[in-house]
Amino acid sequence: MEQFMAVLNAAWQILLAGILFGAGLPALFAFGIRALAWGTGGEAEEHAVGEEKKPHLAGRLVAYAAFAFVMLGMLAGIGFIAAHGLGIAITFDGIMPVFTKK
Amino acid sequence: MFIFLVIVVLTALAFDFTNGFHDTANAMATSIATKALSPKAAVTLCAVLNLVGAFLSVEVALTVTTAVIRIQTSTGGVRPELVTDGGFNILLILLAGLAGAIIWNVLTWLWGLPSSSSHALFGGLVGATIAGLGFNEVKWFGEGASLGGVVGKVAIPALLSPLIAVIVSAIGTRLVFAITNGVNQYYRETGFRWGQIGTASLVSLSHGTNDAQKTMGIVTLALIASGHWDDLHSIPFWVKLACALAIAAGTYIGGWRIIRTMGHGLVEISSPQGMAAEASSAAVILASSQLGFALSTTHVATGSIMGTGIGIGAKVRWSVAGKMLFAWLTTFPAAGLIGALMYLIGNAIGGPVGAFTVFGLLGAIACGFYVISRRNRISSANVNEEWKEDA
Repeated sequence: MEQFMAVLNAAWQILLAGILFGAGLPALFAFGIRALAWGTGGEAEEHAVGEEKKPHLAGRLVAYAAFAFVMLGMLAGIGFIAAHGLGIAITFDGIMPVFTKK
Repeated sequence: MFIFLVIVVLTALAFDFTNGFHDTANAMATSIATKALSPKAAVTLCAVLNLVGAFLSVEVALTVTTAVIRIQTSTGGVRPELVTDGGFNILLILLAGLAGAIIWNVLTWLWGLPSSSSHALFGGLVGATIAGLGFNEVKWFGEGASLGGVVGKVAIPALLSPLIAVIVSAIGTRLVFAITNGVNQYYRETGFRWGQIGTASLVSLSHGTNDAQKTMGIVTLALIASGHWDDLHSIPFWVKLACALAIAAGTYIGGWRIIRTMGHGLVEISSPQGMAAEASSAAVILASSQLGFALSTTHVATGSIMGTGIGIGAKVRWSVAGKMLFAWLTTFPAAGLIGALMYLIGNAIGGPVGAFTVFGLLGAIACGFYVISRRNRISSANVNEEWKEDA
């Protein structure tokens, strides 16, 4: 029974973290692509024949911000892998990561 | 005795090599299929990241076998009562177990099926342990609230991790397509290639840290059992170097048959789907390693690719999915059976000759499979050809 609870306990946390980062980051990236397409205009967006899509600076800025966040997410991933490899345990105090040597 | 140790170490490195080419697909199948990277560039990137990842594992757990069998103490040493013969029996168990894992890995590669290398390794070791020490020396269940044993470290993660990956990647894919609605399809496809390469690199790196470690642990265990190493807090540098190079070389060779199945056989994927799948894999793998949940990269990656098809209602080839499921279910017992058989053969002949026989058999079988594979060769040149049903 304890084993079963341990499984459930790990599974829901993995699912939650998975959805948050694993689905969240691509969604954020998609948002960046959407904003960049709007910001670029022209052929980047679907349009009716003869309709002209204008470029928007704001769109491009928002897009770069979104990509920067995605990059940060990936860097965090790399840091996470490196920390585990170096034998540093990461625990979370609220959402702030705490690093301790194993 | 020394020559026997050399054989075990070589076999472990051979396993590491198969581990590499078997798992290239997990990280790179999607990028190759969507042409975000050329096949050669993809395997090169993946190999380099595996190499870097392997060297990142500074703290190698020597207790790699304690999850499923009882030949080690909790600190990573070998139980002293098992090495009164100079470690001969333990070495034979390791050799037979590795042989079982390698043969199964090569066979599933021949079939083009992504199967878990860690399950093959654990299966082989469990089989060889049952044959060599008896049923009771296998740890079937974990104790208390910490997951362990064959059930907790192999069976349950095998059932749950693909399921979690399917859900995460289906949600991710659905979101991505909903958000990018109205973006020109070509523009979207090229834009997402960047995201795809980034997320696939994360999967490669984490693979290097996780999987190369297992072989490092096994090699060091063989050294300890035969009395050639006694430090339980570090591993010899040459072991780390050899294992890192073996897994990177295997990755670079590329398991093209498996890459083809995962990139084209299961679902025909576009680059937004590719990014969603790899991001899901990376997140699930990292979250699991944080929680000490021992999942298989292969199961997660296949689950993610399947989920990305389900997420937008694309066609999933269920016949291919069925074969994969078959490979998942059979990997542990099949590798176990071969491992046990190998132990029995080696033990019946006995002594160094027995070990040589196991090693020779392994080589012959692996070469045989390779020769068969040449009949319909799949390489970087034809990995992206159109998928034919039941080809």
